[in-house]
Amino acid sequence: MILTGEAITEAVECGDIVIDPFDPARVNPNSCNYRLGSEVVRVEVARDPKLAAVQQRLEPVDGRFLLRKGRFYLGHTLERIGSTRYVTSLIGRSSIGRLGLFVQLSADLGHCGAVHRWTLELLPTIDIYVYPGQVIGQVSFWSTTGDVAAYQGWYGRHDLPMASKLHTDLADHPDIRGLR
Amino acid sequence: MILSGPEIKRQIETAAITVTPFDPDLINPNSIDLTLDDKVLRYLNSIIDPRVEQQVAEIEVPPEGLLLEPLSFCLGSSREIVGSNEFVPMVHAKSSTARAGLFVHVTADLIDIGSIGCITFQLFSTLPLLVYPGMRIAQLSFWKPQGEINLYSGKYQGSTGPRKSMIFLDRYWETLPGAGEPAGPSAAAMSDAPTGQRISSWKGADH
Repeated sequence: MILTGEAITEAVECGDIVIDPFDPARVNPNSCNYRLGSEVVRVEVARDPKLAAVQQRLEPVDGRFLLRKGRFYLGHTLERIGSTRYVTSLIGRSSIGRLGLFVQLSADLGHCGAVHRWTLELLPTIDIYVYPGQVIGQVSFWSTTGDVAAYQGWYGRHDLPMASKLHTDLADHPDIRGLR
Repeated sequence: MILSGPEIKRQIETAAITVTPFDPDLINPNSIDLTLDDKVLRYLNSIIDPRVEQQVAEIEVPPEGLLLEPLSFCLGSSREIVGSNEFVPMVHAKSSTARAGLFVHVTADLIDIGSIGCITFQLFSTLPLLVYPGMRIAQLSFWKPQGEINLYSGKYQGSTGPRKSMIFLDRYWETLPGAGEPAGPSAAAMSDAPTGQRISSWKGADH
């Protein structure tokens, strides 16, 4: 089941959900808004997932970043978000989707137990300015059935935009290791 | 928990779910199809500043189809007025639409409980694709909420047809540094207004 805004607020108050900093004004009927963090990187070369991607950090001009259509960027949430009890799902908000900006690329499902600043996958379909601190997306929380085995993985330990680690997965893959 | 198709039909009959007009043929095993209305909106500015109200062109989707060019973006809407005060709706492409390379939203799939209106589709096509008025383009699922319900009363309530982003109305902009551009589309952007029945693409853009 998906938590209502009221249930999200209660869970934040009792510590079952972390949204830090938390502002009740950002709670929606069944989600909570998050803001864009201060660091945005452009992923320039990610052709071969056996190799680490090349990425470049953008410098804001007049307090904003210009994202070009067809280019691909990673950003992060300003808030640290997660839960050891509920499953987090992260999406863009409709006001941003209506402007043609992808905020994640089909990887909306978070792991139960991961509490950190989430990396955003930013793909503009129209050139667009984004402002650190602007409300850019929302998270929803879902109750689970069955025992919870909390996430212990790499991405959950980081608060800045984290590049794909596909290359390290593939380096250990028996079918692919020899191809490098 | 997600509602089954028969349960969606039952909840429409008890008015806990709104789907108007309602055609029982559009019910799937665990969703209901949405059909495309006959107009789309396209932004006129070549660069969007979310702090500034964006001007749009309204384009008709003719019976012979509207061509969405590859990597183009526009806003469409459902013919149906939909929503619920008891369940959380979620928008998905129909798998047939997705198999043709069309996104019907760009990651904003979750609808607020209490939001009643036409769904605005965020149409992003990866291939050249003709879309037709009335075609089954998307589907809506409904999810059971947990907790006390506060109904949506936001800026998109009661939408009819596609609604452009109203993000420029957000009050928090005043608290952020950085300058917005002057309101309205530039002369250069206006001259780029659409002339035919097609939605142009990334072609020729500075990449």
